[in-house]
Amino acid sequence: MSKPSDLVQGTLDFLLLKILAVESLHGFAIGRRLQQVSKGDLRVSDGSLYPALHKLEQKGWISALWKPTENNRRAKFYALTKLGRKHLTQESEQWDRLSSAIFAVMKLKEA
Amino acid sequence: MDFARWRFTIPLRLRSLFRRSAVESELEEELRDYLERKTEKGIAGGLSAAEARRAALLDLGGIEQRKEECRDARGLRWLEEFWQDIRYGVRLLRKQPGFSAVVVLALALGLGANTALFSLFNSVLLRALPVRHAEQLVVLSVTDEEDSAATTFSYPMYRELRDKNSVFSSILAQAGAELNATYGEKSEKARGELVSGNYFETLGVQPWLGRLFTPADDRIPGAHPVAVLSYPYWQRRFGGDRSIVGGKLILNGHPVTVIGITPPGFYGTDLAEGTDIRLPMMMTPIFRPLPANRLQNASHQWLEIIARRKSTMSPAQAEAGIDVLYRQVHEKQIRELPARVSDYQKRVARSRHLKLLPGSQGLRHLQEQISHALLILFGITLVILLITCANLANLFLARNAARAQEIAMRLALGATRRRLLRQWLTESLLFALLGGGLGLLLAIWTQSALLHFVPANERMNLGHATLDPSVFVFAFAASLATALLFGIVPALQISRRSLAAQQGDARLAQNEMAPHRFRGALVLLQIALSLPLLIGAGLFLHSLRNLKTIAPGFDESQVVLASLNPALNGYSPERTRALYDEFLGRVRALPGVRSAALAVGVVLSGGWDSITVNVEGYQPREGEDMNPNANTVSPDYFATLRMAIVAGRDFNEHDNLQSGKVGIINQTMARYFFGTQNPIGKKFGTDESAPADIEIVGVVQDAKYVSLREKTQRHFYVPIAQEPRLMDLTLHVRTADARPIAGMLRQTLQEIDPHVPLYDVTTLANQLDDSLAGDRLITWLSTAFGVLATLLATIGLYGVIAFSVTQRTREIGIRMALGAQRWDVLRLVLRQVAWLVLLGAILGTAISLGALRLVASLLYDVRAEDPLAFVGAAVILLTAAALAAFSPVRRATLVNPTVALRYE
Repeated sequence: MSKPSDLVQGTLDFLLLKILAVESLHGFAIGRRLQQVSKGDLRVSDGSLYPALHKLEQKGWISALWKPTENNRRAKFYALTKLGRKHLTQESEQWDRLSSAIFAVMKLKEA
Repeated sequence: MDFARWRFTIPLRLRSLFRRSAVESELEEELRDYLERKTEKGIAGGLSAAEARRAALLDLGGIEQRKEECRDARGLRWLEEFWQDIRYGVRLLRKQPGFSAVVVLALALGLGANTALFSLFNSVLLRALPVRHAEQLVVLSVTDEEDSAATTFSYPMYRELRDKNSVFSSILAQAGAELNATYGEKSEKARGELVSGNYFETLGVQPWLGRLFTPADDRIPGAHPVAVLSYPYWQRRFGGDRSIVGGKLILNGHPVTVIGITPPGFYGTDLAEGTDIRLPMMMTPIFRPLPANRLQNASHQWLEIIARRKSTMSPAQAEAGIDVLYRQVHEKQIRELPARVSDYQKRVARSRHLKLLPGSQGLRHLQEQISHALLILFGITLVILLITCANLANLFLARNAARAQEIAMRLALGATRRRLLRQWLTESLLFALLGGGLGLLLAIWTQSALLHFVPANERMNLGHATLDPSVFVFAFAASLATALLFGIVPALQISRRSLAAQQGDARLAQNEMAPHRFRGALVLLQIALSLPLLIGAGLFLHSLRNLKTIAPGFDESQVVLASLNPALNGYSPERTRALYDEFLGRVRALPGVRSAALAVGVVLSGGWDSITVNVEGYQPREGEDMNPNANTVSPDYFATLRMAIVAGRDFNEHDNLQSGKVGIINQTMARYFFGTQNPIGKKFGTDESAPADIEIVGVVQDAKYVSLREKTQRHFYVPIAQEPRLMDLTLHVRTADARPIAGMLRQTLQEIDPHVPLYDVTTLANQLDDSLAGDRLITWLSTAFGVLATLLATIGLYGVIAFSVTQRTREIGIRMALGAQRWDVLRLVLRQVAWLVLLGAILGTAISLGALRLVASLLYDVRAEDPLAFVGAAVILLTAAALAAFSPVRRATLVNPTVALRYE
C-alpha cells in the first residue's frame, strides 16, 4: 500500500528528524526536501509522509505550529523538539555503528 | 525523561480527545494544502488542472485512508472505538427491551444481593473505629490454662499497667454505668460510661463542642462532677441545643456539669454500644457505688482496657513487653489472696497471661457473635452471582446464534476478531453496569431490613452510614468481574466462529458443537451450585422449626415486662424496697392483671448472673464448675410465667430478712446435686467460707434462661425480700390484654414518683421472638436464595433443551422417517436431560457434603448431613428439571417427519 518497499521502516522517521533538524518546514516542503537530499534514490510516497509526521508529533519528537506562508495561505510547520534532538543524536550513533559494521562485513567478503 | 515527553504528549492527547472537531479540521486543512501545492506544481510542469489534481490524489493514495492513519497515530483509537461500542450497545439494548430487561434484572438481583450483604459485612466486620490511626489500637485480654479468656481487669491492675509500661504510647480504661438522667422535669434512663482521663487523647478524638476530658479531670475519687455527651444523645435529648454545654444535669441524683459533646460519627470502642454520657473514672464511687472499694480492690475485674501501641513497637514486641509487667503485678496480687482460696485456684490464676487482640475495631463483641453467619450469607450471594453469570453466558451464547448474520457481515466488512471481541465485552459491561447500578439501589433499599440481622439493642451505630465509598467500589468491581465472567465465553465463541465464517462455511459456524457442549456444562454447573443452596435452605428451615418447637419452660403469651431502678435516683435501700412493694401492690390491683411479680433477671434477655455455690453434703472435684445461674424473684414469679413448682412451695410473705434464708432450685440443679434424693429441706450456700445456709423450699420446672439453644442449666432462685440491697428490677405482669397495660404501668409509677423512669417496656413474647430474629433472617434469606438459584438453573436447563431440540429437528425427522417411534425420540431427548441433571446432582451433592459443614454450628438439632434436607432438595430439583424439560420434549415427540425434512 502506501509503505515504501525500498525504505526500511524506522528509517523514514530518522530521515524526517534529520531534515527537521536543519530547519522547520511544512509537509509538502518536507516531501520535496526528502527527494532533493536523496537525489531521488529514496522514493517516499507522499501518502506515508503525513501519518509518519503525526506519529512523530505524538511521540513528542517534533512539534507543529500553524504559520502563514506566501500568498495568504497558512500551513502546518513541523520543528524538532529538544526531546527529538536527543533522540536523533542517539539514532545517529546507532546508525554509525550499524553502517560501519555492515561496511566492515562487506570488505571482508571482497578480500 | 518520561516526564519531559508527557509535557508534549499529554496536551496533544487531551486536545485530540476534547477538541476533536478542531483537530479534524486541521488535518483536513493540512492535507488540502498538500494537494493544492502538488496540483500547482503539476500545472507548472505542464499538466492540465484536472490531470494535475488526479496525479496528486494518486500520489497521496486516498485522503480518507491517510486521515485514518493519522488518527491512528494519535494513540486514542481504542477510546474512540470504546465510545462507539457503547453507543452501539445502547442501541441494541433499546432494540430488544425484553431481553435487556431480563438480563439487567437478573444482574440487579445477583449484584444487589451481593452489594447488600457486602455493605453489612463491611460496616460490621471491616470498618475500623472512627478514631485516629485505629490500626495501632490493641485490646488487652487475659487467657489462663483452662483457656477461658477475659477482657476485664481491676483498677489497680490498670493503674500499674498505665504507669509502668514502656510499649504503649497511651492506655485507656472504661466501664459501663447505669444512669437515671434528669433535666428539667423529665427523667429517663441513659447509658453511661466511666472512662479514664486519657480516654479521648488515646483515641485521638476532638470535641464537637466544648472540651473533652484530660487526665486533670480524673485525679481525686468523687471530685470531678463533669460529663461529656455523645452527639446522638445531645440531638435526641436536647435537640442539639448548644447552651447545654456548661449546663447541669442530675445523674442518679448528683448534679453534673456538661463540658463537651463528642463528634457525630464517634460511638466509643464498641460497635454494639450506644453510650449517651461519659464520666471520669474517678466518679466511680458515685455512679457505681457497690461494691464500695471498686477503685482499690484488685479482685474486682470490671474494666476494659484499650491501648495505643508505640509506632516503633511490633505487635509481638508489645505483647511480650506488657505480659512481663502483667505477670509481675499479678504475682504480687496472688500472694495477697486470702488463705481460703484453694491451691488449684491459685495455680489457674498463675497460669494467666496477657494477650493483645487487634483493636482497630475496638471491642468485637457483636462482630464475634454474628461474623460466622454473615460470612455464610455473603458466600451464598457469591454463589448466586456465579449462577447468574453461568445463566447469562448461556443466554448470550444463544443470542450469538441469532446474531450470526450480523457477525458475518461485520467480518466481511473487515472487522478484526479482536475488534469484535472488544465490542462483545463492551456490551456485557454495559449490562453489568446497569445491573450493578440497579443492584446498588436494591441494596440501599433493603439495608434497613438486613439490619435486623444484628440484635435490636446492638444496631444503634449501624442505623445510618452503612453505605460508605467502599460499598460503591465493591458494587463497581463486582459488576466488572461479572461482565468478564458472563461476557468472555460468548465473545470468545464469536472469535472462534469468525474462523469458520472466513472459511465460508455458514453451517459450520451455526452448528458448531463445541459451544453447545459448553452450554450443557454451564447448566450442569448451575444445577451443581443450586443444590447446596437448596439443601442449606432446607437445613435452616428444619433448624428454625426445631427452635420454634422448643418448650422454653415458661408461657410467654400475655406477659408484659418493664424495668425500673429507683436506687439510681438516690433512694435509700429502705425507700427502694418500699417503692417496689407499693408499685407491685398497685399493679396487682390494675384491671385485667392476673398476676404480677418482680425479678432481677429476665429470661432470654441475653445475659445471666452465675454464682459460685457450696452444697451441703456435696464434695466438688478439683476445677468442677460450681456456678449455677441465679435469679432473685418475688412471690408469684413462677405463677406469672406459668412455671410449674414440682415439689415444695413458692416464696411467700413470711420469707424476709428476719426469717431463715430460703431458695428454690430447678429440676436440673436438683438432679445434679441430689440425684434421686428429695432436695426439699437440704441446704446450699453462696459464700464458700461459711456453711451452707440457704434452705431449699421448692423445686421448679426447668426452663431456657439465656437462649433457646442452650442445654438446660442448673438454676436457683432466692427471694427479693431477703436481698439486702435492691438495684434494678423488672416487673413481670400477666394480663388478659397486653396492649393497654404499658400506659397504665407508667401512669401508676408516675403517681408514686414522677422522677423514676420506667424503661425497656416490652412483652415476653417479643423477647422470645427477638431471640430468634437472626435465625429467622438467615432462614428466609437462604430459602429465597435457594429458590432463586433453582429458578435460574431451571431456566438455563429449559433454554439448553429447547435449543437442542430445535437444532435436532432434522435429525429427529430422519429418525422418524426411518421408523423410530415416539418413545425412541422421547428416550433420545430425555437421555440428554437425564445426564445433565444426574451429573449436576452428583456434583452438587459432593459440594454440599463438603461445604455445608460450615453451617453446622448455626443449626439447632439438625446435622449438616440431614437426609431430609438432601432428599427434599433433590426432589425439588428433579421436579423443576422435569418441568423445564416437559415442553421441549413434547415438541420433539410431535415432530412431523415431512415438515422437518423440508425445513432446511
